[in-house]
Amino acid sequence: MSSSSTALRELQRDLENKANDLSKLQKDIAKNHQVRKKYTIQLGENELVLKELDLLKEDANVYKLIGPVLVKQDLAEANANVRKRIEYISAELKRLDGSLQDLEEKQHSKREAILKVQQRIQSHQAGKAKA
Amino acid sequence: MGKPEMKGTVTSLSSVFPPEEVQKAAKMVEGKLSEKQSEMNQLKEFIADNTSLINLVQKLPDELHHDIMVPFGKAAFFPGRLIHTNEFLVLLGENYYADRTAKQTVEILKRRGKSLMSKVDALKAEMQDLKAEASFFDSTASEVADDLVEIREYEEDNSPERVSQSGPVELESPSVAEADNKVSASEDDEYARLMLRLEELEKEELAAEDDGENDEDEDEDANANATETETDGDEDEDELTEAAFHGKKDEGYSSLDHNQRYLESQPRKQLQQSKGKDPMNEEMSTKYNHQDLTNQLACTGLTAEPVTKGNYGGECEIPHGRIVHQDTKMLNPPVNASVPSGKKPVQTPKSEFDSSKAFTGSIIEHTENLEKKLPEQKTTSSQASDSKPSKPMSRFKMQRK
Repeated sequence: MSSSSTALRELQRDLENKANDLSKLQKDIAKNHQVRKKYTIQLGENELVLKELDLLKEDANVYKLIGPVLVKQDLAEANANVRKRIEYISAELKRLDGSLQDLEEKQHSKREAILKVQQRIQSHQAGKAKA
Repeated sequence: MGKPEMKGTVTSLSSVFPPEEVQKAAKMVEGKLSEKQSEMNQLKEFIADNTSLINLVQKLPDELHHDIMVPFGKAAFFPGRLIHTNEFLVLLGENYYADRTAKQTVEILKRRGKSLMSKVDALKAEMQDLKAEASFFDSTASEVADDLVEIREYEEDNSPERVSQSGPVELESPSVAEADNKVSASEDDEYARLMLRLEELEKEELAAEDDGENDEDEDEDANANATETETDGDEDEDELTEAAFHGKKDEGYSSLDHNQRYLESQPRKQLQQSKGKDPMNEEMSTKYNHQDLTNQLACTGLTAEPVTKGNYGGECEIPHGRIVHQDTKMLNPPVNASVPSGKKPVQTPKSEFDSSKAFTGSIIEHTENLEKKLPEQKTTSSQASDSKPSKPMSRFKMQRK
């Protein structure tokens, strides 16, 4: 009797742990989504800037706002910087996509494990009720 | 009682779509919709600001310098001058600025406005989708709340399954068909029974045909169809059955007015046409019994069988391909029983048969007896379904009285 009840308690603890892990995973996934959104917006903006820079004449003045300072920049330099930033953002997005997939897989497997534990608990309780 | 072989399931919509979940889903969709709405409002504000800015930028270079009140700190102004009225430091995005003239600035602003508009359009499309979802959820929620029930009926014959839903659920056929489904569900049994009896009678007909008993042939034809070749003696009975049939149809399809009229007019057309051909008919009756049977069966089969099957979505007109399909399948078993030539191409019973197939016009004469015949036939049909009269004539004589 006691052995079965301890087994039952163990199973329940196991279930709690798994449930916590699952909630953590879900939070991670939500964060991932948010960051992805931000990066996507930035990417869009940078592409817009690139377009405008291409429309500028060679001798036009370009300034970059660094903190409270407006620094004059070379057009070519500005172009290069914007392009690099675009590349960086796309790479980040890809990385995030990969990690998102991993997280989702882990979540899925966790859910299945939780189901199994629940089933075991149920069978235990059924067994207890019979005995 | 010869109950037709029909199985059915009745599932309450509330079991398929639990009400709470439906409400939750509806709320979720509403929430998303409100989110999109707020986004849309924001975008619209941006667009408005953009246009006002364009106007300002266009006005500034009109003067060499403007006298203005310059903001100083958080809560002060001092009078000053706005010079270099054609030079603008425009934010390109991502902390990048560029010196531009008024014209160039206006161009930049216009391009920004375009991208905003495209975003607004995308948002609108999303909102429309969400609205469609929301309306669907609302309708299901109301149905579930009304305790509406989904009725499925399965035919044992080769005919495909027919699903009918009672309630304001979307159907391919017009909503009239739905109303009919509700009404005629109870009448399906009777029609199915009639069809079964028809088959039996046809079999007997074949057996007795060699004796040259046209009467039975015609009677069975009358039972099966509205159009037949008849000899004079049996006209009345045939007409009675036809009239009764039509009367029943009238009951069942009170809402399907135009279809009914079509039904009634069709046999009547045939009747009238054949009135002038009575002598021909008598000759034809012997020769063409087989053909007539099939043709007429097919002809009215399309009308009668949709009746029995309750395919109220369309009778002769048959909007559903599947109804036509059903008809041919139903058509073949009874036809094959009597005549081996199962005529499949007879799917459009419209006016193709009418001219050639004889039919007396006496249905018109007996229309006043419709109501009388209806209750009679209903009672007698239920009683007579068990008994297989050797001569259908007797049965109809019973009904007449």
